[in-house]
Amino acid sequence: MASTVIGVGITIEGEVTSEEDVLVQGTLRGKLIAKDAVTIDHGGTVEADIASGPVAVAGNVTGNIASNDRVDLQNGARVVGNVKATRITIADGAQFKGNVDMDV
Amino acid sequence: MMIRPSDRSESRDAIIGRATRVRGRISGEGSLVVEGVVEGDIAVRGDVTLAPGSRAASNVEASEVTLRGDLEGDVHAAGAIRIESGARVRGNINGDSVSLEDGAEFVGRVELAFDLPAELAGASAASTANRRR
Repeated sequence: MASTVIGVGITIEGEVTSEEDVLVQGTLRGKLIAKDAVTIDHGGTVEADIASGPVAVAGNVTGNIASNDRVDLQNGARVVGNVKATRITIADGAQFKGNVDMDV
Repeated sequence: MMIRPSDRSESRDAIIGRATRVRGRISGEGSLVVEGVVEGDIAVRGDVTLAPGSRAASNVEASEVTLRGDLEGDVHAAGAIRIESGARVRGNINGDSVSLEDGAEFVGRVELAFDLPAELAGASAASTANRRR
């Protein structure tokens, strides 16, 4: 269980800063900065730039993702934006439009 | 929106964890538990709980509100408001019922919507009638 959960049906408009992991099942508009893992579940929507640790996306993201770890775009994910991370996977069934920067 | 059975949580709750800060507005259908910091208004259909150690500078609109942390802002609840031991609240509260526990700090106004008991309502009606006479 993530320590911060934006549940189904909940909308945050603004900036979320976290030292711990964040799970988005609802909607976040604004900015997301997390020291730890960020998970965007099926049905979750993030319209924000994300700066964090590992990111797993199975929902919608509109915005740039910058991770100091890995980014996994899972089946069902829809991502529009640039992804910057050390390791990136894009699963079959993930939709992705944007640039990849693997920071080599 | 399609919800799959594989979704691991059916919970409509939101938790702002201990090491998390939200600057902005939180709204929606579910309930909210704040363990960290919120700067911005909260308007949810469900309940709002401020855990011990939490801090909120928010006007709160919810069904039921339980306060155990610091709140600066007004509370508007459809149901009960509980200000429990350890809470520090500055603001006006407006709800169906309010309880203030020993050990809680509260500065503000309490506004309760309730009907007067029949005898009081009757008495005021009678006194008005008397005055007319």
